[in-house]
Amino acid sequence: MSGSEPRLEVTGLSKRFGGLTAVRDVGFSIQAGEILGLIGPNGSGKSTVMKAILGVERPDTGSVRVDGVEVAGWPSHRIARLGVGMVFQHSRPLHRQTVLENILLGLLPDHLLAVLPDPANEARARAIADRVGLGAVLDRRPSTLPFADLRRIEIAKAIARDPKVVLVDEPFAGLTARETSAFAKLIAEMRDDGRAVLIVDHNVKSISALVDRVYAMYVGERIAEGSVAEVMQNETVRRVYLGGALETAARPESSFRDAQTPFLEVEKLSVFYGKAQALEDVSIHVHQGEFVAIVGLNGAGKTTLFNAISGLRKYGGEIRRQGQALRGKSAASIARAGIVQSPEGRELFTEMTVRENLEMGGGRLEEKERAERSEFLFDLFPILKARARQTAGTLSGGEQQMLTIARALMMKPDLLILDEPTLGLAPVIMEQISKALERLRGRTDITVLLGEQNVTFALPHADRVYVLEHGRIVWEGDPSRFAAEVGERYL
Amino acid sequence: MLARILKSPPVWISLIVVAVASTLPLYVSGYVLGLLTIAYYFGVFSMAWDLLFGFANEVNFGPTFLIGLGAYTAGILDSLYQPPIILCIAAGVAASVTGGVVLALPALRVRGPYFGLTTLVAVLMLQNFVVVAAELTGGEIGLTVPDVISINDRTNYWIALGFMTVSGAILYGLSRSPVGLILQASGQDAVQAAALGFNVTKHKLAAFIVSAFFSGLAGALMVFYLGAASVGTFIDVTVGVQVIVGAVLGGRRTILGAAIGAVFLIAMGEALRPLGDLSTFIVSAIALFVVLVFPGGLLGMLKGAREAT
Amino acid sequence: MLFWQILIDGFAISALYALGATGFTLIFGVTGVLNLSHGAIMVAAAVAAWAAAGNWGLGPYLGAMFGVGVGVLLSLATYFLIVQRLQRSRAIREEEKEIFILTATLLWGIMIQEAIAYLFTNNAKTVLPIVEGVVTIAGVRTPANEIFTACVCWLAIGALWLFVNRTRAGKAVLAASMNPKGVTLLGIELSAVYVAVWAVYGALAGIAGVLLGMFLGVSSYSAGPLTASAFSIVVLGGLGSVSGSLIAAYIVGYLETLTAYLISPAYRAIPALLLLVAVMYVRPRGLLGRR
Repeated sequence: MSGSEPRLEVTGLSKRFGGLTAVRDVGFSIQAGEILGLIGPNGSGKSTVMKAILGVERPDTGSVRVDGVEVAGWPSHRIARLGVGMVFQHSRPLHRQTVLENILLGLLPDHLLAVLPDPANEARARAIADRVGLGAVLDRRPSTLPFADLRRIEIAKAIARDPKVVLVDEPFAGLTARETSAFAKLIAEMRDDGRAVLIVDHNVKSISALVDRVYAMYVGERIAEGSVAEVMQNETVRRVYLGGALETAARPESSFRDAQTPFLEVEKLSVFYGKAQALEDVSIHVHQGEFVAIVGLNGAGKTTLFNAISGLRKYGGEIRRQGQALRGKSAASIARAGIVQSPEGRELFTEMTVRENLEMGGGRLEEKERAERSEFLFDLFPILKARARQTAGTLSGGEQQMLTIARALMMKPDLLILDEPTLGLAPVIMEQISKALERLRGRTDITVLLGEQNVTFALPHADRVYVLEHGRIVWEGDPSRFAAEVGERYL
Repeated sequence: MLARILKSPPVWISLIVVAVASTLPLYVSGYVLGLLTIAYYFGVFSMAWDLLFGFANEVNFGPTFLIGLGAYTAGILDSLYQPPIILCIAAGVAASVTGGVVLALPALRVRGPYFGLTTLVAVLMLQNFVVVAAELTGGEIGLTVPDVISINDRTNYWIALGFMTVSGAILYGLSRSPVGLILQASGQDAVQAAALGFNVTKHKLAAFIVSAFFSGLAGALMVFYLGAASVGTFIDVTVGVQVIVGAVLGGRRTILGAAIGAVFLIAMGEALRPLGDLSTFIVSAIALFVVLVFPGGLLGMLKGAREAT
Repeated sequence: MLFWQILIDGFAISALYALGATGFTLIFGVTGVLNLSHGAIMVAAAVAAWAAAGNWGLGPYLGAMFGVGVGVLLSLATYFLIVQRLQRSRAIREEEKEIFILTATLLWGIMIQEAIAYLFTNNAKTVLPIVEGVVTIAGVRTPANEIFTACVCWLAIGALWLFVNRTRAGKAVLAASMNPKGVTLLGIELSAVYVAVWAVYGALAGIAGVLLGMFLGVSSYSAGPLTASAFSIVVLGGLGSVSGSLIAAYIVGYLETLTAYLISPAYRAIPALLLLVAVMYVRPRGLLGRR
């Protein structure tokens, strides 16, 4: 693309939060009329990069230039007035105002005395509304509109500002296939208008058709940059998302005794966040003693699925444990009944020690049983024994993850749900967790439901695999067939 | 757009109500007029509060800090030097606006419950100051002010009604104007408002100043109606509660609802006076009931639905 | 002489403040609620004890226990009727729930206050003390009641510490103040934890109220200032930090006592207030606050 000066240029960006380095030495540039995809899993630092560009966070080092003007450290509204716009993922329109008035917000000057409305603005707002497809609903209130229209309002507000640079956060989350292509068109139009567009998302696949280039991040750093094809082939990227070579060690489904009524049955599950559909018609089952892996990228819906099973989210459809419906039971009672989650967010008691956290998990066990169980877990995760008296908040990420799993195991669960246990962890720690899982599988009769993005990690521990994509199950089967049938399409 | 505002139901209903209210002195007793006069000033207190809470999303637990500053400054000035009433009122307004700015500064830096706490502390400070500096302020007994605007019931009533109407018009107009839109966006999500290019701090500060202006002005005018000022009328936390409850009761984020709620509260308080000590209990109970069961307030009830705004 | 008098009086009044503030902070730390009917509950407990001990002739011990019981009942009523209802309401936006809870607890407090005034008049009442007489410490003649007050306060605080650190239920409460979701994931019903916390709070507020009634006396007018002072102490110490509240209670208690003795009783509330303002400007988090 032409133009000597990039519209947006980020160089050497770094940001720490306390002891945690969120972003280290990130740099890229976007020309006018170009779309860059910034991808990375949860915790990769992409949100922090976005916030640094917008002015919500002040970078520790590095520069952010818009058309050559240095804006790092400026207050957010000043950066916006200079020409940086954003389409937020979780935005809320003003509910008491009409769609038209909401769009007008993007056209208003930042004046204290903007008391009289400018008639020209109204015409402009209507034009923008027509362009994004809201022409017919201008006088309606947002609460009466479907989810896709709410997202359109956000795009309209961003366009109204006539920005030079547009950031778009997870543009297609919660949209159907048809809506996705309509939105892709709108974003492409923004590029054709001569703007520089930065799309931030979890994975390449959903935006591959739209972007010109990709910049991939992991744990705060750049791991690859280039065209879509280049990045998808990149060794490091594949390892981060897929893991490495795929090994399998599956037990056939027929070997599990409860063939008639599987231990856990999920039937036609659907979950909505407000109006956005997070899960659509998901059906899975897990046999007693089986290890089932649900693989899918961040944002596919794994956590939502697990939260529904654990009773933390409302859902449509049925979930049954040994034939008994779980609907209506409180989340705590489901946990007491033996379905225990080791959540993605860990949810540790940060000011309690390792030992105290474990004790909380074993709270309902007898003294002797609790001691035995603790010993078993210290054996499974030796590092926790060494750190028994340390407060959970001071542990490293890997140690915290192990504590989370151990605490869940203290409850002697029948079904253990592991949500992304390896996210953001170093290979050495992944090894330890992998070994622990192997021991659980070989020597106990625990049932495990494992949600993972890293296929290489998940497959050796799975008897069966489901692939979850955009809230739908798209594949089910034997791990050995996974490489052949799914492999390439996954990323 | 101006035409659209004038045509909207809340507005022309309000105009009709005001027109009817202005005829009241012709056939209603002086006692009721006096009650309504006070109620109208409280209407302005509540409307000013709603601007801050309903729109800028700032919870002011001490509206009486601003009201008290306005009332006492005007009153003390008058009792000391007897300048023209206009000057006293102007001084009162200046004091409350300054107070508003002082209150806004920490507000715009802290999150969560801390701002509410700051406002409460401000009221306690002012209350303590008034009590301790009794020579100047009349302490707990109160201050008598030598001048009043008028001793005629009807005149006072019309002044109060007119003031409430004009204030209401300005505040309501502001809330429906582009600036009001910006304020709402700032209050709802400051990050997104900033991403749209709005200097949230500037707008919220402006909202504080406007709220303080009307609170102080109403307070000062009320002093020159009552001819007296006391902690119990202008500063006490219970007065502040009345202002807040009036606004929440009427329906937050409506401005007009705040006026309705305040008038309703005062009228009800009076109507129940024969019950003696129970009256406060019953008024609080009814207000609590509305808060628990109809969070959308009286206006929300009238609109039918239980709003989930 | 004066030194010892200030030391002893200050200690007793601070202990009382500490107990009241601890309960207030406990509720905030675990449930996030600033209960503005706090003072009213304390006064209700005191008046109930007064009525039971005196009017109904139950004597000081039973009267005191009755008062504490009333404190627990009112506290649970506050939770079930008001707080729980508002927290579960789907008609109110999340960000607005806080002000609704504040307004509602404020109104509820006024209702309790007015009910007391109506049923028992708003005159000041002193609860029949359990301990009478005078003791001499370091040359200062002090009412035995005052020593008793300080002791009971600290016993109660100690009992709370034992509860939170040594019992299963108490540890669940502590865990809930750190991570409510974590508690649910471990199979503990949050609603049960909340009921336990409000009940414990009611007991603490009840004991503080009854002791206050015995030591200094209360009237229905005391409710507002009691809430305000608990509030200020908790903010000073740091919202959600029990140890912060204890320290702040002693700072405030001694500041007040010093002012009352050395300057004038009329000004006793001022220094603490000034300190609070300073803290708000300089370090809004309070001394040890984490939220």
